[in-house]
Amino acid sequence: MIKYLARRCALFALALFVVSVVVFLALRVLPGDLATIMAGLNSPPERVAALRAELGLDRPLAAQYGDWIAGLMRGDFGTTMLTGQPVASVVGARVQITFPLIMLGLLIALALGVPLGCASVMARSARARGLYQAVAIVGGAVPALWAGLVLILLFGRGSGLLPILPASGFPQDGWGDPAQAALALVLPAVTVGVIVGASIMRYTRSALQSVASTGAIEMAMACGMTRRRALTHVGLRLAMPQLVSVVGLTFAEMITGVMVIENLFALPGIGSGLVDDLTHRDLIAVQSELFMLAAFFLVIGLLVDLTHRALDPRLGEDDE
Amino acid sequence: MNRPDRRRVPEAPARIAAEHGPRGRLRRAGVVVASMWAHGAGRFALVTLGLWILVSLVSLFWTPRSLWETNGYAVWAKPSADHWLGTDGVGADVFSWLMAGSRTDLVIVALTVLVALAIGLLLVAAMTSRAAALAHGSVVLIDALISIPTVLIALMLAVPLGASVAVIVLACGFGYGLNLARVARPSAMLAARSMYVESARADGASAMRVFATHIVPNVMPTLVVQCSLSAGTAVLAEAGLTYLGVGVPSGVPSWGHSLSTSVRFINIYPLTVLWPGLLVTVVVVALNLFGDALREAADPLTNPRLRGDDGHRRR
Repeated sequence: MIKYLARRCALFALALFVVSVVVFLALRVLPGDLATIMAGLNSPPERVAALRAELGLDRPLAAQYGDWIAGLMRGDFGTTMLTGQPVASVVGARVQITFPLIMLGLLIALALGVPLGCASVMARSARARGLYQAVAIVGGAVPALWAGLVLILLFGRGSGLLPILPASGFPQDGWGDPAQAALALVLPAVTVGVIVGASIMRYTRSALQSVASTGAIEMAMACGMTRRRALTHVGLRLAMPQLVSVVGLTFAEMITGVMVIENLFALPGIGSGLVDDLTHRDLIAVQSELFMLAAFFLVIGLLVDLTHRALDPRLGEDDE
Repeated sequence: MNRPDRRRVPEAPARIAAEHGPRGRLRRAGVVVASMWAHGAGRFALVTLGLWILVSLVSLFWTPRSLWETNGYAVWAKPSADHWLGTDGVGADVFSWLMAGSRTDLVIVALTVLVALAIGLLLVAAMTSRAAALAHGSVVLIDALISIPTVLIALMLAVPLGASVAVIVLACGFGYGLNLARVARPSAMLAARSMYVESARADGASAMRVFATHIVPNVMPTLVVQCSLSAGTAVLAEAGLTYLGVGVPSGVPSWGHSLSTSVRFINIYPLTVLWPGLLVTVVVVALNLFGDALREAADPLTNPRLRGDDGHRRR
């Protein structure tokens, strides 16, 4: 276990390094000069030169990279071009919206996906099984943007058939009024939850089926459990490690949906902020934000692998 | 509708599995398609994908209305004989734009799958190579990079490339390629450690030859199915990335473009947004079902008609 932990952490550090280099180089080496892009295509050469000097872009790449990394280590993520605020505080404000959104969405997805996945395995008639299958496949095929729109049309204030929930924006004072803020997150979170729920349902189904194919369910039933109890108590427990890794991967899938949803509902979160910075060509902020997000996902990957390991004792014994 | 009659499917030759060369391959493909057609889901997938290709081809020569024909007096028109699905905010015909969009999406999906397949096979080759450093390194690389979402890669690429089809194709191709390699890893490793690979090497076959004749055929079934699923994800990614402003550039017809142009006005004209969303959903469902049906139909274990003599006895 210790050996595995050490290896996995080394891998994490290596990946973090690779990602930082890739992000850094993507903004510099690929066609298009950073300062020209940031200053705008038609700006005078003097302005471009001034910007280049200001950002230190005329220095050698290695020195720029070193500065950036040293800044990151100190917690200095640079400043945004538009308002001059530190990137760290801007991102901090955005996280307060995105993090609850992701968590709420994931909760809804689990609450929908796991029971439905179990039910689809338990279903006896071919018709019921087909119906569950259809729900899983169609649910996974709906574009996030469209699901959000349909929900707005159903429940959004102003245009909906049942106008009870705010369809866009977030209270100006953030979480100053928790009830209002939470209300603003309901529709976006449900959108994310429905879409991710469909894929969690599929994964639950296939994980349970692979557990069932080992004969564990029959064994439990032979010991006197009902089919339902065998599935929910034995099957789910055995499928748990697989499910945890899947939820981790779903996190990475979710972020595309989350970005679209944040834009659609005009929530000033990480995703819409990143897209905003990109359209404003605030590339220093973009660079740090991309790195932070990628690092976040690498941490998730690390946590998922470790949890998987802890939940499935069979894996611990032989370290490949 | 009555259930499809299996006997009507052209009967497979008795020893189809033994036939080699282009002829046998063609015949096997015919059997696979016929088996897919025999099931409702497979038939739906084949019909939808066939229509998609057909409409894309037709849209090259003909659309009911010109894309650039706009009419300021007929914005947000309801569906009518003139405009089958109504018009959008500048009075352009929604149906024509969706038709033209289908070819952009088809090209994007095809290119994405090709890029993903190339990257996937390259990584499989690296994983099964006999240079330990390369094999270990590639596995580590895949594990590390797979947790980075495609959309982040797309945003990275969008900085130098701007909004373009290349951003979607490269970002999705890269992300899905990693995924393909990961999915194919078990069967690739099994093949690489098998006796027949060992004996081929003992016979003096080059690494290239071993890869092409022994490893690729082993991973291909898994990869093809996974590619079909990736194609569905690529359609969804096109819609999302285009909406975020880093995908298909504005002015180029695509389904994501149709979807996002109508978004801003849903409060006033909710109906226009219905069509592109439905279209994308149907196509993605079809791509997913296609993958599943192909897996069933192309695997001799689940499709007795491919098993040749023992599975298909003449009665």
